[in-house]
Amino acid sequence: MITLLHVSKKYSRDNQVLQDVNLHIEAGEFVSLVGQSGAGKTTLVKLLTGEERADEGQVVIGDWDITRLNRHEIPYLRRQIGVIFQDFKLLPKKTLRENVAFALEVCGASNTKIKKIVPSVMKIVGLEDKQGRYPHEVSGGEQQRAAIARALVHQPRLLLADEPTGNLDTINADEIIDLLQRINKFGTTVILVTHNKGIVNRLSKRVVTMEKGQIVSDKAHGKYLL
Amino acid sequence: MLSFLRIIKFSLQDIARNVWLSIVTVTILLIALFSINTMLTVSAVSDNAVRAVKEKIDISLYLKPDASENDITALRERLTGMPEIKSVAYISKQDALRTFTSRYQDNPDITQSLRELGNNPLSPSLAIVPTDFENTGNLINTLRQLDSDIIDSRDFTDNSSIVTKIQTITQRVNEIGLIIIAIFIITSLLVVYNSIRVAVYTHKKEIEIMRLVGASNFFVYMPFLFSAFIYALVAVLIMIAIFYPFLTLLQPYLEVFLAGYNVDLLEYFVYNFWPIFGAQFGAVFFITFVASYFAVRKYVR
Repeated sequence: MITLLHVSKKYSRDNQVLQDVNLHIEAGEFVSLVGQSGAGKTTLVKLLTGEERADEGQVVIGDWDITRLNRHEIPYLRRQIGVIFQDFKLLPKKTLRENVAFALEVCGASNTKIKKIVPSVMKIVGLEDKQGRYPHEVSGGEQQRAAIARALVHQPRLLLADEPTGNLDTINADEIIDLLQRINKFGTTVILVTHNKGIVNRLSKRVVTMEKGQIVSDKAHGKYLL
Repeated sequence: MLSFLRIIKFSLQDIARNVWLSIVTVTILLIALFSINTMLTVSAVSDNAVRAVKEKIDISLYLKPDASENDITALRERLTGMPEIKSVAYISKQDALRTFTSRYQDNPDITQSLRELGNNPLSPSLAIVPTDFENTGNLINTLRQLDSDIIDSRDFTDNSSIVTKIQTITQRVNEIGLIIIAIFIITSLLVVYNSIRVAVYTHKKEIEIMRLVGASNFFVYMPFLFSAFIYALVAVLIMIAIFYPFLTLLQPYLEVFLAGYNVDLLEYFVYNFWPIFGAQFGAVFFITFVASYFAVRKYVR
């Protein structure tokens, strides 16, 4: 599913953020990516979304080598990857339903398809009763659910979750992780970037630990080591 | 087609849901347009006033009272044939007397004097309108050398200095007016450019999110560019709705101020509607379009 081969990335001469990273993730896996701030986790996610380019090495998603992706191909890559963030990144002037539908509208999906898919995705994330609300009218947990619904609406094979529970209380955080696990059970590969030791340990899934731009540990049923 | 409809929907939705930002943007466009139109009005008033003054300049050839109709007609035709002359009107003794008495009907001394004289003391004349008021000096020189037995006197000695003065004033007014209008237009366009950039800046996060969910550049740019079109259109339409009543209110004051001269601002702006407001829409749309394009481009990268 995902292969990173000898990937290195520098932001400046003295700022090496990734160094000879090798990582392979199979389709359908649930992988927690952990590490301290500045370890290179977010840069790795940015390489997978096409936001950054590797200076060296190769990044492959499925059969698609995205190492040297040109600017026009980036939207197509992003339509195949679901991404959720700590700050939800919802459009504030659109309702939750419109936020989810927007991801389909921009890639030219028909109105019939949108009307069919959006309510069912909203139901999966438990927001069927709050579709008409604006992001500021719902809780953080509900905003993150809407962000997940938006990420899922393309039926992506890969879901990248960059600190999705960082702004949530324990109850909401657990609910979001449960939701990610359910999504993973449907066959979607999930990469969870987190600092939350409790969540990583409770998941008991594969844990990749990064430190100073390198992978220092990769355990099939790992714990949060740092 | 579906994409275009969606872009229009996104744009209108954004304008409506960011209603204060939209109002502020349109207001800034309106202020800029109002400044430009005010300058245009000042320029139109001065142009019209100068033209009206020029048209008031008399170039008249006074004819001998006993000049025959045939000689007068021949002289008139000779003058009409000159390229420097636009038209020649014959004012008979009776016409001259009628105009004179009507002009001085409230002056008892003059009417009394006329009555005492018993006959019409005025001469017939030919009132000449030049083709080009800028070249009145040349025409006057030609008329001075005109050889005709029926010409009694030539009344344009003082006019040449008036014409020269008016020409100097007109030239200065035009030069200064052009500089002021240019400064106003440049300032207004810079203000508009900046406000559009600020408006787009407030959407910085949204542009990032649009890119995140896989929106192509077309989908990111187009709603902003369409909004630029809507802002320009709405601003120009409101400007038109405000400006014509404003001119209607201004016209009576102008008529009092420029009494005796035919200066009709409303007619000027109605006659020049498309060149004035079409150009303004074009300019405002161009600047909002360019500002939106560059502002969005900054955040799309």
